[in-house]
Amino acid sequence: MRGRLRSALVIGGQGIRARKFRTFLSMVSLFMGVLAVVTVQAGASILERSELDGIEMYSGKDGTITLRGAGNHTDLVAETLRGTTQGVLSMPVDATLGEPNVNPINRQGMTFEDVRRHGRSTGADYDCMSEADCEAKRKQKPLPEGNAIRLNIEALTGDIRPIRPFTMVSGQWLDFGSTPMLAPRIVINQEAAKFLGHYKIPNELQLGSGASHPSVQITGVVNDGAYGPAAYVRLDEMSSWAKNPAGSRYSSGPTVFLQPGSDDLQRVLRSKLVAAGAKDSDIRFEAQTRKEDVTKRLLILKVIFLGLAGLVLLVGVAGILNVGLATINERVEEFALRRAVGMPRLLLAGIVLAETLLVGLFTAAVAIGVGYAGLEVVGSMAASRLRLSGAPPFPWDAGLAGVIAGLLGGVLGGLIPAIRAARIPIATVMRA
Amino acid sequence: MTPLIEITGLTKTLTGQGEPRPILTGVDLRLNAGESIAILGRSGSGKSTLLSLIGLFDRADGGSYLLGGEDITKAGERQAAQLRSREFGFVFQRFFLLKHLTAAQNVAMALVNGQGWLSGKARRDKIMNALDQVGIGQLAKRRPALLSGGEQQRVAIARALVREPRILLADEPTGALDTETGNLVIQNLRSMTERGCGLILVTHDREHAAKMDRVLELVNGKLQPAGVLV
Repeated sequence: MRGRLRSALVIGGQGIRARKFRTFLSMVSLFMGVLAVVTVQAGASILERSELDGIEMYSGKDGTITLRGAGNHTDLVAETLRGTTQGVLSMPVDATLGEPNVNPINRQGMTFEDVRRHGRSTGADYDCMSEADCEAKRKQKPLPEGNAIRLNIEALTGDIRPIRPFTMVSGQWLDFGSTPMLAPRIVINQEAAKFLGHYKIPNELQLGSGASHPSVQITGVVNDGAYGPAAYVRLDEMSSWAKNPAGSRYSSGPTVFLQPGSDDLQRVLRSKLVAAGAKDSDIRFEAQTRKEDVTKRLLILKVIFLGLAGLVLLVGVAGILNVGLATINERVEEFALRRAVGMPRLLLAGIVLAETLLVGLFTAAVAIGVGYAGLEVVGSMAASRLRLSGAPPFPWDAGLAGVIAGLLGGVLGGLIPAIRAARIPIATVMRA
Repeated sequence: MTPLIEITGLTKTLTGQGEPRPILTGVDLRLNAGESIAILGRSGSGKSTLLSLIGLFDRADGGSYLLGGEDITKAGERQAAQLRSREFGFVFQRFFLLKHLTAAQNVAMALVNGQGWLSGKARRDKIMNALDQVGIGQLAKRRPALLSGGEQQRVAIARALVREPRILLADEPTGALDTETGNLVIQNLRSMTERGCGLILVTHDREHAAKMDRVLELVNGKLQPAGVLV
């Protein structure tokens, strides 16, 4: 077997070297098909990853359970979750980081890109609860422009990263194992870091409720997938100086994230909440299944585009088949001679297949290389639209799809020539 | 002593587009180690067909074929390929050299045939030994286009010898060569029999046939001793 495989590869390699132009033509015909498969697979993987990253970082990994119906029993839930790794309470809070009592750089929490495009926001930045409230606030004296940014803070009872897979960009994540500090430690996201990198923003934090702290410590920068500036803080550290941190304009209230398999914790939470007066029927534990939805939605698109890529690949296969058949007719004597000196039919077919498989592999390598380079160029241009920090990495499954497409093209294109080669009658050829 | 080849009553009918044509009607042949046999016959008499049956390129319709005492009349494709590789060396009128390969690579073709695998050094030694036997070791790296007809035929003979076969089958090996070069090739082939190799030479050239131990003629599908040669 070893001898046969080596023989097939050695002779196949000789055949390719001897017919470089034909090999090139075969590769050209197969190239577009393989490239189409690589492109579709890469595009689908990047889109899926992009969508899932956003979902996972915002709503938690697939299977994450969220608690609904806890009402205003935040303290009870936070107390119950203290010390556990199976669940985290996240309380969103509107905040301003920087100089107090100024008009912030990004009114209403605009992104850095929006500010860069449209200029620094002017006019009052306020939230009003009713028309009368707005009217009253409009009459107030406008605040001066200052170095401050509006951001959303999430106060956490524990490490949320096992549930929402944030990635650290620099510095350190919040240490939930240590004693709470009076100067609260916060981790900002990349969007907030852009502002801090561009403007001189002091470390003073004001919450929507009016509470403020003059010197928060920024311990790290995290990629959290959020559009706008955000920060993360330990709930107990924030509570030590802001007794009633209040809520957020953009969220209905605290969210409780629970790990899959936290059944006991769910029972405890339900019991405590019912005992505290919550209605049992209102309390729901809902599992996150959006990954499946995204995958299903993208699958339809992927199948359609892969089908089209498959058609292009088939055209390539027809080309390689055409070249292969023409080559067999030219090599009749060679094949008859090889059989005459003892080569089995099967190995002869194997040589022809080895040649087309090698051509398929070479083509796949070129197509993957072109796909990789194309992704670097197009990816860096489209990165901001896809909310990525740079050109997305070339997905390994696109490379695999390219190799499979190349091999499949090689097999399909080489099969009929291989069968013909194996059927060449030695006697007829050698007598001619 | 067991003969290398013992054929009895071999028959073959050619079936093509026209009427079936019996070409071999009962061939008897015996070849011993170190013996050389020339087979003469008119064009279309069935000489090459007989050689292709002996060389297991094709199967006979009837008769029996013993190779070294083993009955291989009904040898299957795999066994036939093994025997072609192990027992036979073939030389054809047209040299059948691959133009994209060097002389040494053309000889190597008989070694790289899926019947076992030799290390690079062992393979090179065998190839150079075979080329040296026919006196063209110095041309190992030349491609066929740069070789004369005689040199090309000697490369083909080296290819036939490289596996050290017990039987050499030559089908009009001098047909495309001038007299002087043809004599050299026959001399090369004849020298192999001195090492115990059996040789069957199919030829039209009675002068070359006369240099063999026995001369047979294929007439009406049967082998018979040839008449006066020269």
